Amino acid sequence: MFASKGKRLLQGLLVLLVISMVAAGCSSNTTEKSSAAGDAQAAKTLTMAWPRDIGPMNPHLYNPSQLLAQSMIYEPLVSYQDGKLVPALAESWTLSQDGKVYTFKIRSNVKFSDGTAFTAQLVKKNIDAVLHNKKLHTWLGMIPLIEKTEAVDDTTFRLTLTESYYPALYDLAVVRPVRFLGEAGFPEDGDTSKGIRSPIGTGPWVLSEYKKDESATFTPNPYYWGEKPKVDKVVVKVIPDAETRVLSFEKGDLDLIYGEGLISYDAYKELESTGKYVTKLSEPIATRNLVLNTMNAKLADLKVRQALSMGFNKEAMVEGVTLGLEEKADNILPPNLPYANIKVSPVKYDVEQANALLNEAGWKLPSGGGVREKDGQKLELELMYDKADLTMKSMAETLQAEWAGIGVNLKITGVELTVYIQRRKANEFDMNFYSTFGAPYDPHSFMTAVVQPGYGVSDTLAALPMKAEIDKKIKEGMATTDDKARTGLFGSVLTTLQEQSSILPISYIKQMAVYRDNVAEFKFPSNRDEYPLHGIEKK
Amino acid sequence: MGVYIGKRVLAIIPIILFSSLLMFVMIRVGPVDPAEAYLAAAHIQPDDEVLAAKRHEFGLDQPLLTQYVQSLGRLLRLDFGHSYLSNMPVWGEVAQKLPATLQLASASIVLALVVSIPLGVLAAIYKNRLLDHVIRVFAYIGACVPVFWIGYLLMFFISVKLEWLPVEGRGSVQHLILPSITLALWLIAIYARLLRTTVLEELKEAYVRYARARGIKERVILYKYVLRIAIAPLITGLGINLGKLLTGAIIVEQVFSWPGFGRYFIEAIINRDIPVIQCYVMLSVCVIAGSNLIADLLQLFLDPRIARKGRASQG
Repeated sequence: MFASKGKRLLQGLLVLLVISMVAAGCSSNTTEKSSAAGDAQAAKTLTMAWPRDIGPMNPHLYNPSQLLAQSMIYEPLVSYQDGKLVPALAESWTLSQDGKVYTFKIRSNVKFSDGTAFTAQLVKKNIDAVLHNKKLHTWLGMIPLIEKTEAVDDTTFRLTLTESYYPALYDLAVVRPVRFLGEAGFPEDGDTSKGIRSPIGTGPWVLSEYKKDESATFTPNPYYWGEKPKVDKVVVKVIPDAETRVLSFEKGDLDLIYGEGLISYDAYKELESTGKYVTKLSEPIATRNLVLNTMNAKLADLKVRQALSMGFNKEAMVEGVTLGLEEKADNILPPNLPYANIKVSPVKYDVEQANALLNEAGWKLPSGGGVREKDGQKLELELMYDKADLTMKSMAETLQAEWAGIGVNLKITGVELTVYIQRRKANEFDMNFYSTFGAPYDPHSFMTAVVQPGYGVSDTLAALPMKAEIDKKIKEGMATTDDKARTGLFGSVLTTLQEQSSILPISYIKQMAVYRDNVAEFKFPSNRDEYPLHGIEKK
Repeated sequence: MGVYIGKRVLAIIPIILFSSLLMFVMIRVGPVDPAEAYLAAAHIQPDDEVLAAKRHEFGLDQPLLTQYVQSLGRLLRLDFGHSYLSNMPVWGEVAQKLPATLQLASASIVLALVVSIPLGVLAAIYKNRLLDHVIRVFAYIGACVPVFWIGYLLMFFISVKLEWLPVEGRGSVQHLILPSITLALWLIAIYARLLRTTVLEELKEAYVRYARARGIKERVILYKYVLRIAIAPLITGLGINLGKLLTGAIIVEQVFSWPGFGRYFIEAIINRDIPVIQCYVMLSVCVIAGSNLIADLLQLFLDPRIARKGRASQG
C-alpha cells in the first residue's frame, strides 16, 4: 500500500514539475524573439557579449556598474583621443596663469536622452554629487584638490583647484566618476552614491531593453548632439564564461568580442587560425613591468639589477607565455602615451655579461656551480605574484629557470589577491609585477606611484641615490603649466628610472578584438575604458 | 513514528549551528579581511581611517564571541546583510535569482528520473547482454566526465555544429534543454546503475518466484511489483545528491550563462562578497540537511519497516 502511495506521489510530483517547467519556458518565450542574429533586422543589430550584468549604470560609481554601459550612456567634458585631449561636452576651456582655475565653455546644443538641456548648472550638480562622497574617489588625483565648482551662466562652468595640477583635464576624461547624469536621474536627496533613478545621459546610446543578468539592448539616443551611431541596436548579452563566449561567437550569435579579459590568448589564436573572422590587436595600452625592490640589500646594488635585467631572454619569454599577443617592452611606459616618448637603449639578453656583472658585484659562484654567494649569504630572492593570474605565474616560472642559469635562486610565491595587495602596500616583497594603468591615466598615475608610498613603486625605489631628485622633478612636472618643461622633467625621470633598472619593462599589453566580417569600421579606443561602438558599421 | 520524525527534525539544529560556527571561524582565520574586501569591491582606497571605520561598522572590533552571537541572531532573522558589491540586501537578490536555479534543478531531476528509470530497468532485463554493456559504458562516462566539459561538448556539437539549440542564455524551453542534460547526466548515470542493481536483487526475492509460479506475466511482475520497491532507493539517493546538484548547478549556470543563484555565488567569490558567500553556504546547508530529512521521511513512508527496525534496535 505504501509503495503504491509512494508511486502516486512520485507521479504527481513529476507531472507538477513538467508542467511548471513548460510553463516557465512558455511564459518567457515571447520575450525571447528579439534576440540576436536570426532576426530580420539583424543586419543593423550589433550583438556582443559581456561577462556580467551591466549593473545600475550609475555614472558616479564603480563596480557593479560596468564601464561598457557607462561609456555608452554618459560623456565627459573633455575626451582623450590619440594622446591628446579634445573637446567633448565642453567645446573649449581656458586655464588661469597659476594653473588653478579651469573655465569650460559648455556646448550649447547638447540634450540629455530625456530631451532636457545640458547646462553648466548640471555640470556643477554632478561634480558636487561626486565630491559629496570624496572618499570613494580619492584615487583620482584631481578630486581631493577641488576647491570650488561654479556655474557662471548656462554655458560657463568654472572649476577651481587648491593647487596647480596638470592631470585635472585627463581626470575629467576618464569614464567614471566625472560624467553627467540628467536632472531626472538624480534621487530626491541628490546623493547618487546611494543609487540613481534612471540612467539618463548625453551619450550616443540609451538603454531601451534590460533583462537583469541576461541582456541589455541599447538604441541610439534621439537627442544625441554628435554624429549618430551607424547601427540601430547594440545587444549586450551577459555571458560569464570565456569559452561559452567563443562558442556563441562561432555559432553566429555574437558579432563582436571586445573587452579586456573577455577572450583568452588561446581562444584568440584559435579563432585567428580559422581564417573566418577578423582578429585585431591594439597598440600597446600598458606595460607589464617587473619591480626590483631596492630596499632589499641585494637588489640595492645596481650591478645586480642590471645582471638580472639582461639575464633572461625577454623576447622568448613574452612570445612563449603570451603566444605573441603581448609584445616585448623596452620602455617602462608605452611610448605612445603623452610625455613618455623617450629614447631608450634596449637591454640585450647577455648571460655572459650578466655573470660578469654579478662577479663584479662580489657574488661568486661556489665551486661546482649552484647559487652565488657573498659574505656567507646566498643570492636568493623572492618574486611575489597574484596566483590567479596565469600569465604572471608562467612568467615567474620562466624567470626562475632563466636566473638559475646565472646562479640566482628565485623563490616564486603565488598569493591570494588580498594578501598581494597587503604585502605590496607594506612593501614586503623583493620583486613583484607592476602593470601601468594606460590612457588616460598615464603617465601621471605612474608618476604618482613613483612619488607616493603605498602603490608598490615609491617604496621600492627608496634606496636609489637620486630618489629625492626624481620626486622633486615629478612634483614640478605635475604642477607646471608649461608643457615643454613637463616633457623635459618627465623625460628625465623616465630616463633615470630606465637606467637604474629597478623597474624592468617586460611586455606591452594590448587589447584584442575578434569580429565577423560583416562588422566594419572597428577602431580601438584611445581611452582604455571606452568602447568603440559609436562609429561601428554593419554590412 | 512521530518521535522518530521529531528527533530527526531536532537533529538539524546542531548541524546548522555547527556549520555557522565553522563558516564564522573560516572567514575570521582566512587571509581576507571583510572590511578590506568591502573596500576593494566598492572601489574605495583602503586608508587606515576608512578601514577602521568599516571594521567598526561591521562589528569586527568586537570580541569574537559577541560577533558570533550577533551573526547567529541575524541568521535567525534571515538577515544576511547587504552585498558588498551591489549594496542591495543579499536575501532580496537571492530570492530574485532562486527561481532560475530551481527551474534548472527541477528540470534536471525530472530528466534524470525519466531517463534513468527505463535505462536501469532495461539494463536489468538484458543483464550481461549488449544493451546492458552499452548502458554501463554510458553510465561510467556520465559519472566520470566533469560537468563543464560535458557542457562544452554539447554546446559544440548540438548548438554550434548542428545548430539545433541555443548555445547559452535563458528564455525558451529550448534554452533549458542543454543545461538540464548537462546537470542531469551524472544523476542519470548513478540512478541507472542503482536501479539495475536493485531490480536484479528484487527479482531474486521469494515473492517474485511465487508470482511467476502463479503464472503472472513477467511484465506485470516487473512493473507492478518489482519496480515499485526498486524505486525507493532512488528517492533516498535524490536527497543525498541534491547537494551535488547544487554544486553542479554553479558550474552549469556559469557555462550556460544561466542567470541563477550559482552564478551569483561565483561572482561573490571573485569579488570576495562575504555576505553573499555566507548566505549561499547557509542555504546550501539547509537544503542539504532538509532534503536528507525529507528523503528519510519518504523512505519511512514507503517502507515502514525502517521505523520498526529503528524501534527494535532501540528497545
